[in-house]
Amino acid sequence: MAAKQNGNKGKHMALKRRTAILAALAAAATVLILLWKPTVINNGLQQAGLYAAIAIPMGLVLGIVHIVNLAHGEFMMVAAYATYFACKALGMDPLFAVLPAAAVTALLGWVVFRLTIQRALKAPELNQLILTFGIAIALTQVVNILFTSQTYKIPLEYVSASIDIGENTFPVWSYVFVATAILYAVGLRLFLTRTTAGKAAVAVGQNPRGAAIVGIDVNRSYGLVFALALALVGAMGALFLTKSAIFPQVGSPYTMKSFCLVAMAGIGNIPGILGASVLLGLSEQLLRAFRETRAWADIVFFVLIIAVILGRSVSWRRKK
Amino acid sequence: MTKLSTTDLLCRFSGLVAVNKVSFAMDEGEILGIIGPNGAGKTTFINLVSGIIMPTAGRIEYKGRDITYLPAHERARMGIARTYQLIHPLENLSLVENVMVGAIFAQGQGLKTARRTAEELCEELGLSDVDRDTARLSILETKKMEIARALANDPEVLFLDEVMAGLNADETHDLIATIRRIAVERRLAVGVVEHVMGVIRELTHRVIVLEAGELIAEGPYDEVSRNPRVIEAYLGGAA
Amino acid sequence: MNRNIARAVAAVVAAVAVALPAFAGAYPLQVARNVMMYMALAITWDMLLRSGQISFGIAGLFGLGAYAAILGVVRGGMPVWLSIPFAAVVAAAAAFLLGFLILRLRAMYFSIVTLALAEMFRIVIHNLHDFTGGPEGIVMPAGVIFGGNAAALYWLTLAGLAVALAASWWFEKSRIRFALTAIGNNEISASSSGVNIFRWLLVAFTVTSGIQGLLGGIYVQSYGFATPDGVFSADFTLLPLAMALLGGMHGTVGPVLGAVLLGLVSEWLKLKIPYGHLIVYGIIIIIVILFMPAGILGLARKMSRGAEGGKS
Repeated sequence: MAAKQNGNKGKHMALKRRTAILAALAAAATVLILLWKPTVINNGLQQAGLYAAIAIPMGLVLGIVHIVNLAHGEFMMVAAYATYFACKALGMDPLFAVLPAAAVTALLGWVVFRLTIQRALKAPELNQLILTFGIAIALTQVVNILFTSQTYKIPLEYVSASIDIGENTFPVWSYVFVATAILYAVGLRLFLTRTTAGKAAVAVGQNPRGAAIVGIDVNRSYGLVFALALALVGAMGALFLTKSAIFPQVGSPYTMKSFCLVAMAGIGNIPGILGASVLLGLSEQLLRAFRETRAWADIVFFVLIIAVILGRSVSWRRKK
Repeated sequence: MTKLSTTDLLCRFSGLVAVNKVSFAMDEGEILGIIGPNGAGKTTFINLVSGIIMPTAGRIEYKGRDITYLPAHERARMGIARTYQLIHPLENLSLVENVMVGAIFAQGQGLKTARRTAEELCEELGLSDVDRDTARLSILETKKMEIARALANDPEVLFLDEVMAGLNADETHDLIATIRRIAVERRLAVGVVEHVMGVIRELTHRVIVLEAGELIAEGPYDEVSRNPRVIEAYLGGAA
Repeated sequence: MNRNIARAVAAVVAAVAVALPAFAGAYPLQVARNVMMYMALAITWDMLLRSGQISFGIAGLFGLGAYAAILGVVRGGMPVWLSIPFAAVVAAAAAFLLGFLILRLRAMYFSIVTLALAEMFRIVIHNLHDFTGGPEGIVMPAGVIFGGNAAALYWLTLAGLAVALAASWWFEKSRIRFALTAIGNNEISASSSGVNIFRWLLVAFTVTSGIQGLLGGIYVQSYGFATPDGVFSADFTLLPLAMALLGGMHGTVGPVLGAVLLGLVSEWLKLKIPYGHLIVYGIIIIIVILFMPAGILGLARKMSRGAEGGKS
């Protein structure tokens, strides 16, 4: 018993240390670039907000349900499509669709969880991985069949809002993603530490068998967490539509990048995702700032994940 | 002759000391009991000497050679073998094929030779019908298969981690006799972790006692079992 | 099953496969080529899976091989026939070097990094505009290998499949089988039996990647051009994976069976729903994982066991 507690404490401290390192790196990079290329900071932080807001729900699912949802970005894509057609039909602004999109995606997520993932929870981890891969393909292809590979976009004026400082023009709309990411991180923390359902979810995440013994409905907790995560991703789908054009494959890079961010932060470390996102967002925008390196920005996350691997240089042994 | 020894072996996991400066030695032909209350660090100790985990400090020597940081598969090739508490027979492999693995990789035998080695080992341990699916083995047979798998490394040092667990009295006696016999025939140094003290008394020549990672006593079982510190460790663990 | 019957069946199938161009037209040969290529990829995916590692990177190594072959000819002045083994060597070398990094990863970490690998290769090819032709792709100046002769192209792909089959057979008959099975079951106990885990994973990853690159080389020479979006298409990961799952994992027969079934279905679907026919693969993956994780082969085994035993 004592051994276990000590172990958890040590793990917790290691996570904290990692968060601190990530935050320090991000801060140092920020200051350096701020003096040199202020637009990079502006764009990078906004990009980081977008990444973090999408990655945090994935981190939640991974931390509690222990499932890598390879359909994560695809659920956001579906939410964005639903928002698009609702807005077209009703002539409304995507911002009004944020909450409905969250509700619809949560419902979809809950149904998908009950019908598929829940049945595979006891199966080997790799089966779950393949299962969510299959779900990702199915979602992409359903959208592909219904709406073809054509891109859709809603033109919105407020998206190009900007502030002029000196000679530089700073677009500011995407700070809405930063606000969302912070809201998600804070909100989840409150949910997991202050509410009964949240505390139960944490207990289930740490020790499903023990939680079941004290009378917590484990599958219900998992389903709830999964649906909550998809609600957050669904809301992001609506927000994403304000800024970007959508097409069936639009979500898939976000699945990979989200996983990369969660892995960098360490599973179960939601604040760490914010730091990792800043690192990724800034590096990408830094490369985008120069003509010669612009095309390489998309490769940064791969380099980062390799760096993280080397940094740990310990093999993840399979638990059996 | 000393086969395996440790000097001030220390293992720390994120602040917790699992094995604390343990020094011991094992001789050829000796059956050594490793006992102690739950969580005393017995399995961690075996994991350290067999190379599954690496120590924080200290030294491990095998036949006079420093093997402290050698990976597990190289120790297996040098002649250190072990069994596991939780036995996982290899799925998709038959009984004899399960045993072959050690002969192939630890001894470097070709498939045909390895099969012969494995068949001989199965016979030595009284396992018949060697092409069976491992799902059809009894508990005793599973334990014997696990020992045969370890012996397939052609070891000089063998650690048995709670092989008696789950066996009834007759089966336990059968297995004790088997272990005795192979230890003598192969001149093995055997380290036995066991909870049932009757087994330790019957099987071992000498025991070491671990408590909270520290070696608190060593000697023949009858002597150690009267040691007040050992009694207190067990009573303290039980209370 | 009786071993002699199995051998006879295999011999007949092989004879028919070799002789197929004698009595099949251009379209059936084209379909057969597709089926064989995906079958070979499915086999290589399964070979690595036997060690418990799920790769989502087939498309990456396939595409890498494709580009190695075409660039070897266009930029390196290599003879066309040599470019195909060259593709295998490049993919194997890339896998060998990357293996030192990514084979330290396990489970989901390994899978996701291999998924990212395909994307990374695509971006690199995309961006090295002057060397690779960039997003528009690159064309073989001499056109398709063998002047596009349907029978010759068929035999070329058949040869690629034969390499995959031979490698899979070798994996099943040699010590590699014991190494990968032991690693896949429990790495810790495998290492206690003297298995050098990293080394055998590196062997499996390098060999399977080399064959995937070889198939990429064959593919690109059969069409005479390559584009990044074309040869790194997720289809080359998705289809083989679904085929091996459907047929049954951990052996040669399952992927072969799955490839024949799904390959024919997918050719038919391509005609019916040109956009989005891939949905079938997504759905098949979901259904197989949920209801028959051992695939058709596993289901058949279960049924025959049930028929013969009745009780267990």
